[in-house]
Amino acid sequence: MAVAAKTAAGRRTRPLLEVIALHKSYGSVQAVRGIDLSLANESYVTLLGPSGCGKTTLLRMVGGFEAIGSGTLMLDGMRLDDLPANRRPINTVFQSYALFPHLSVLENVAFGLSYRAVPKDRIKARAREALATVRMEAMADRRPRQLSGGQQQRVALARAIVNEPRLLLLDEPLSALDRRMRKDMQIELKDLQRRLGMTFLHVTHDQEEAFALSDRIVVMRDGRIEQQGAPGDIYTRPATAYVADFIGGASCLPGRILGPAGKGYAIETALGRHVVPGVAGLSVGARAVLCLRSEQVALGDTGTPAEVTHAVYRGADWLLECVAGGQLFQVAHAGPPPAPGETVRLSFDPDRVWIAREAA
Amino acid sequence: MNRRDLLKTALAGTALGAFGPAFRADAATGILWMTWENLAKDDYLAPFIAANDISLTKTFIGTDDEQFAKLRAGGADSVDLITPGLDKVEYYTASDLLQPIDFARVPNAAKLYDTFKQTPLGKVDGQTYGIPFYWGINPIVYRADLMEAEPDWSVFFEGDAYNGKLAMRDYALEGIMIAAMYLGIPESEMFTMDDRQLAEVKKVLKIQKSKLRTYWNSIGDLTNLFATGEVVCAFSWVPPYYELRAKGIDMGMAKPKEGVIGWCDTIAVPKGVEGARLDAAFALVDYLLGPDYGKMLAVGGPYAQSTSAARDLLSDEQQDKIFVKDLSVMDSFVWKQNPPRYGDWVALWNEVKAS
Amino acid sequence: MRPQSAGNWLALPVVAALGALCLAPLAILFAYSFFSVDFVTISHDPSLKNYARILQSETYRGLIARAFGSGLLVAAITAVIGYPVAWFLAKRAGAAKTMLLTLLLVPLYSGDLLRIFAWRVLLGAEGAINRSLIWLGAIDAPLQGLLFSPLATHIALTYNYLPFMVIGLWLAFESLDDAWLEAAADLGAPGRDRFRRVTLPLTAPGLIAGGLMVFVMVVGDYLTPQLLGGASGVTVISAINDLFGTAFDWPLGSAIAWTMLAILMLCFGAGATLIRRSSLVAEGA
Repeated sequence: MAVAAKTAAGRRTRPLLEVIALHKSYGSVQAVRGIDLSLANESYVTLLGPSGCGKTTLLRMVGGFEAIGSGTLMLDGMRLDDLPANRRPINTVFQSYALFPHLSVLENVAFGLSYRAVPKDRIKARAREALATVRMEAMADRRPRQLSGGQQQRVALARAIVNEPRLLLLDEPLSALDRRMRKDMQIELKDLQRRLGMTFLHVTHDQEEAFALSDRIVVMRDGRIEQQGAPGDIYTRPATAYVADFIGGASCLPGRILGPAGKGYAIETALGRHVVPGVAGLSVGARAVLCLRSEQVALGDTGTPAEVTHAVYRGADWLLECVAGGQLFQVAHAGPPPAPGETVRLSFDPDRVWIAREAA
Repeated sequence: MNRRDLLKTALAGTALGAFGPAFRADAATGILWMTWENLAKDDYLAPFIAANDISLTKTFIGTDDEQFAKLRAGGADSVDLITPGLDKVEYYTASDLLQPIDFARVPNAAKLYDTFKQTPLGKVDGQTYGIPFYWGINPIVYRADLMEAEPDWSVFFEGDAYNGKLAMRDYALEGIMIAAMYLGIPESEMFTMDDRQLAEVKKVLKIQKSKLRTYWNSIGDLTNLFATGEVVCAFSWVPPYYELRAKGIDMGMAKPKEGVIGWCDTIAVPKGVEGARLDAAFALVDYLLGPDYGKMLAVGGPYAQSTSAARDLLSDEQQDKIFVKDLSVMDSFVWKQNPPRYGDWVALWNEVKAS
Repeated sequence: MRPQSAGNWLALPVVAALGALCLAPLAILFAYSFFSVDFVTISHDPSLKNYARILQSETYRGLIARAFGSGLLVAAITAVIGYPVAWFLAKRAGAAKTMLLTLLLVPLYSGDLLRIFAWRVLLGAEGAINRSLIWLGAIDAPLQGLLFSPLATHIALTYNYLPFMVIGLWLAFESLDDAWLEAAADLGAPGRDRFRRVTLPLTAPGLIAGGLMVFVMVVGDYLTPQLLGGASGVTVISAINDLFGTAFDWPLGSAIAWTMLAILMLCFGAGATLIRRSSLVAEGA
């Protein structure tokens, strides 16, 4: 295959997948509105966002199941736009797995090999190898419906990777599994991606899953990219109030930038002035939010007075909901909780919290 | 049997069940007559009902075969009069289902036309079991506007002029009789044809098939085919002739000199009917052969009864319509009989149709 | 008594009624098929004479073969027409689906006689098609072969029974997940392979079920051939009818009926096996 013949050097210097100014509308609904994205070779990238954010539409356009509205898709420097799905060097693990019910597990895995340059007598052996990779060789002669969800998931994975795609797409692959199985599969997926040295593009609405798997997370909202970066960056340095809220459920206290100060900005909020680090490029007078995660807020003898409204036991600690200045804060609290209605004082370390944009 | 017949059978069965016990509880003598719907219209029977203390229940049949099947299946107990075809009476007598007609109680039988008095059909050992009741002919009916000359039976076997525009009734008995008449086989041999004669019949019937537009099964259907011009000439029953003439189509009716197929239905009394019910049954038979009923049947049918009881009460036109004006027409009739090898006839007919 | 066995007992009257209504007449026919008849007397000495007669008779063999040939032909035609129609209904009709399904069934609400006469009006020598063709100058004289011919019979049979094929296939297409086709494309299969390797095997149960329904109904339909087939409209069913009614040869009629039934049961057995195999796949039993 022409793509496979590209030099290793070429692969390294150029992103594997480039998405340029991609749009897609269904009638008057704009599902994807101007996406630019690059995927590095051998990376694990997650598209993260709530349902309806356009992440699945984006994935389906890359896979070739939806026609693109406008824009360009490049894989290894080759335009994908007009290539039908069956001619793209890309494979997909579908949300429903989409295993062929009339074929055995082995036949499912071998399906794609008949369209690759694989000698006929090697096809079954290659399929068995792929099944071995996902520890499913014992089930080769079963029918898909005879397998558990996790087993089907592995077969779907084997069916895709056996074709050695340049890019593997995973559409909410773990959403049908129970929590425990999901955790196990997360580890297996990450492990598999490392072992095979393949590039995975994974769609999910589950931020925990995104953190567990990704080299890079792309947070999407309303058909646009809200922020992309390494998981640590996204978590500790959210660009917008939306990201801060969606990832880790930070409480966002609106305010106005007074000016640069120290390592960050001085910000005026309903709960006073603070000097806090934040996203680059905020100008004086700009509206911004102070993002406070539950573990960054503590109860103390000093600080802002707040009224406790709820207390939820979480095992390791309690999650308190408190209201101060009309704003709801979540506080992780280790000790015995104050009773609802009680007034407490909230404090935080200004160096550990973060200022984000109000909107993208 | 088609679906409508089935339905009729079922309804008739239901009627039997429903009315059976009811009429017996009545003070008047109740009798049940199994017959064709067009023979038992209320106004035809009103004078009889008015003059007698008899309550009459009617159950209608869809085909002759259905009537026979019902009686054989044990229906004879509840029925007091049936209406089999003259050629079918043999089936009933062979199955020992009938009792002989007591002519002493049917004075109107004296007025039977000679041909009905003399026919050997409907009789066993000189006893009459099915008394001829009403009759008619099945002629050739044709579109006079679309044919050059009056046809005879040969139109179904010779020449190309009307290829694909002819129709034949889908009925083995009559179909084979017509072929035999065309071949000149006399009536005396017709129903006992040997293998050689049957082979000849089969040969000409195959020729006939190639000339047909279709075989017809219902007279209403044939009437439509005449009206649309799909068929210009058919071995038919009489009704389309009058019906389409009334609609302004120039129809013709031919009674071939080689022979005209006559049909006749009889009235018969099942075995086991006795006492007051038997008296009532014979009273009805006598009425059906008498002038009141005959006149109404001639006008309303139009059909001829088997006696001359009503003939003088009819106008020339009415007489002509039911073929009793010139009685010599009866001489050219070939009455339908039940051939002893009827199974072979049916097989032959199917072989021709399937060829 | 456990609830389950109570249920079994409660079902007994239904089973008994079904047995009496469906099986008993068939059993009687079966017994008759070994008897013989002399005029109106049925002889109860069992023999295989009737079956031998069927075997030896070119007419009955031919009629039986013709019936099954027609059944196969019409099943095949309705499959070819019904397949894209069912696909469209299930996958593309969208909001119009209910309306289109209703429209599809409308012909079934009219009587079969009504439909047959409608075909007469269309196909007759003076019918709509012939008149239009003459008016257009395409032909000089009406095409006689349009009506009262095997062509007319098969057009009407196809029309009559197409809905049953479409319904069978439609159900199969409804349960055909588009993701399977996307997966096949994803794995490199071009359009025709997606059809051959995925769509066709997964809709096969519908095809077989629809085909069997059409097949059986065509084999049993004597009215359409009789009223539209013209001089060649004879069917094995009308021959059986003749034997029972006109000829009073119930034994031979029963034997032909049972021969038909046996062949039909074989076809059903084969079809059911095929469906079970493909639904084994679907159900994973």
